[in-house]
Amino acid sequence: MNLKRPTIGHIRLISLYWSRYAVRSGSGLVYLLIALIFGLSVAHILIMPVEQLMARQEREMGHTDPQAIRNTIIDIGQPVTQWILGQKSMKEIIQQSAARQRSVTSDSNDTAVGVEEQKKYADFDPWTSFLLEKRPALLSAIFLVLLFGMPFVISFLAYNQVSGDIQSYGLRYLLLRTERSNIYFGRFLGTVIFSTAVVAIIVVTITFYLGMKTRIYPALALAGWAAHGFLALAILMVPYIAVCSLISALVDSPFLSLVLAKVTIAGVLLGAIAGSFAWKPAKYFMYVLPWGWQSNLLHPEPAHWLGAVLACLVYTALFLMLGYYRFQTRDL
Amino acid sequence: MKHVVSIKGLSKRFGQIQALNDVSFEVSSHSIFGLLGPNGAGKTTLFSIVADFLKADTGTVEVLGINTRYISRLRGRMSILPQDAQFQRNVPILDQLVFFRLLAGRTKQQAQEEVIHSLDMVGLQSYAKRRVGSLSHGMVKRLGIAQAFLGHPEVILLDEPTAGLDPAGARQIRDLIKQLRQRATVMVSSHNLAEIQELCDYVAILNHGALVLAGSVDEITRADREYNLCLSRPLQNSELERLSSIEGVRNIKMLSHPGANHGKGSAEYLVTLNLSADHVNQDAVIGAILRGVLDMGVTPRKLVEGRSLESHFLEVTGGQSGDSVILDHAE
Repeated sequence: MNLKRPTIGHIRLISLYWSRYAVRSGSGLVYLLIALIFGLSVAHILIMPVEQLMARQEREMGHTDPQAIRNTIIDIGQPVTQWILGQKSMKEIIQQSAARQRSVTSDSNDTAVGVEEQKKYADFDPWTSFLLEKRPALLSAIFLVLLFGMPFVISFLAYNQVSGDIQSYGLRYLLLRTERSNIYFGRFLGTVIFSTAVVAIIVVTITFYLGMKTRIYPALALAGWAAHGFLALAILMVPYIAVCSLISALVDSPFLSLVLAKVTIAGVLLGAIAGSFAWKPAKYFMYVLPWGWQSNLLHPEPAHWLGAVLACLVYTALFLMLGYYRFQTRDL
Repeated sequence: MKHVVSIKGLSKRFGQIQALNDVSFEVSSHSIFGLLGPNGAGKTTLFSIVADFLKADTGTVEVLGINTRYISRLRGRMSILPQDAQFQRNVPILDQLVFFRLLAGRTKQQAQEEVIHSLDMVGLQSYAKRRVGSLSHGMVKRLGIAQAFLGHPEVILLDEPTAGLDPAGARQIRDLIKQLRQRATVMVSSHNLAEIQELCDYVAILNHGALVLAGSVDEITRADREYNLCLSRPLQNSELERLSSIEGVRNIKMLSHPGANHGKGSAEYLVTLNLSADHVNQDAVIGAILRGVLDMGVTPRKLVEGRSLESHFLEVTGGQSGDSVILDHAE
C-alpha cells in the first residue's frame, strides 16, 4: 500500500470548505439544532428548580439566600453526581435518599442510628466534593449530563464525512486534485471545528444565562469552570467524530453510516451495562470507546483529567488510522 | 510517436463480473483517443482505473510516464470528467470550482478568473452564482466539462462528454474537444459512433471487458478498399451484374442502410463496393462505376470511402448495438 503524507495547506483548505459546506448542506444545521435543543433542555431541566426555589424565597422572605440555594443544589446534585461518576451504586443512592427522608420526617437527633446513617451516606468523596462544593455545582451537573449525552448527538454531524460523496462519486472531482489523506483528514478536521463551535455556543449560552439570571455563583468561578467544561466537551467529541469517520469510510451509504454510528456509540455503552449484570468484567467493554474515561475530564486531579485527554487522543489516533487505511485502499 | 498513456495487461473484477480483462493499448501525444463499447463493456471502469479511483487487480497504467499508483505526481497534469459524479448540490458552482483551483495553489482572484473563463467556454458564465441543484442535467454535464478544462491539464479524460446534451450543446462540446488537440491529449468515451468517428484520431473498442479492436480511425475505416454508394433507386440484379463485370470490382452488393431515408420523400439505397486490392487505379474504377450507374438512369447521391466505424463496431461486438449505441448524430 502506498499511504501518502498529508499536505497541511490542503488539509486547511478542505477543512474550512467542509465546515462551511456542513452548514450549507443542511446536516450541520440539523446537528446545530439538535445539539442546541439537547444542551439547552438539559440546562433548562437543571436550572428551572433553582429558579423556582429563588422565586419562592423571594415570595416568602422578600429576598433570595444564595448560600441556601447553593446548599439545596448540592443536596439534590450529590446522589446523581455520585452515581454518574460511579462513586456509588444505585442501591447505595436509594438507601442514602431513604436515610435523608427519615432524618427529615423524624427527630433524628434523638436516635443515634439516624445520625450514623446520615453520616454514612452524606459523606462526600473528594471528586463529588470538588464538583459540587469547590466548583459551581449547577454547571458541574450540566457538564456531567452533557458529557454523557453529547456522544449520541455528535453522530448527526459526523456520520457523513465521506460516505455520501463515495455513494454519489462526488469525491472523483477531488481525487485528481489532492491526496486521499488530505480529503480524509481535512474533512475530519472540518467536522471537529464545526463541533467545537457548536459546543462553544452551548456552553457560552448556558453560562451567560446562569450568571445573569441566577447570580448564585461568582462570575470568575463560573467563567473558569465554563472554560474547563467547554474544553472537556470539545475534546470528548474528537474521538467520537473519529469513530464516525471510520464508519463513514467503511460504508457507501450515508444512512447506513448514521445507523451504524448510532448503534456503535450507544451499543458499546448499553452492551457494557447490560453485560455487567450477567458477567461483571463485561463492564470493561465500555472502554472500546471513551465511555469509561470521559467523566475523568472533570476530575479534580490534573493527572486524571490529563490521562482522560490522552485516552481521547489515543482513541482518536486509532480510529483515524483505521479509517484512513480503508479510505486510502478502497475503490472510490 | 510519443505515448502519453500506456495501459498494460489491465484487469479488474467486481465479484463475478470481469469488468476488464487483460486490456493493453497506448495513446499518442496530442491525439484524441476514442473508447467505444456497448453498455457494461468496461469503458468507465477503465477511465476510473486510469484516474486511480479504482484499483486494478492486475496490470499497470502509466500517464505521462508516471505510474498512476503515484497519482499525486500527476496533480494538475491530468483531469477527468467522471461519469455520474455529482457536485455538491447546495453550493454555488463558482465556489466549488474556485475551491478546486485553490487546491492547485491559485490565489482566490486567479482562481475566480480561471473559473469564469472555463464556465464561459461551456456557456455557463451567467450561472456562476447558482447552486448546482438548480441546474438542468445538460448544464451539470457542461459544468463537469468546465471543471475538466480548468487549468491546463496535459491529459484530459472525458467519460461520455455529450451524453444528455442537446444537439447544439453537443456540437459546442465537440468543437471544444477538437480545439484541445493543440494543447492536450484527450481520451473520450462515447456510445455515439459517428461522434467518435468525427472527433478521434485513434479508437479502441471494448466488449465484455476485452479489447477487441484498436487503431487509427483512418486505418480502421479505410481498410478493405470499400466504398459505400448511395443511389436514388435500388439496382436490379442484372444491373448489379453489369457493374460487377467492370475491371477492378471484386464484389458489389445492394443493401439497406440503417440510416437511409426510406419513406421520407427522398429515398436512398446503399450499394457496397469492394475493389480488388491489386488494382492500381481505383479512381478509374470508381469513375467507371459512376458512369455505369448514370447510364442506368440512377442518380448517385453520396459516395463514402471506407467502412463506417459503425460497421466495424457491430462486427467486433457481435452486432450488439441494441439500445446502447447511437448510430447517427443526434442532431
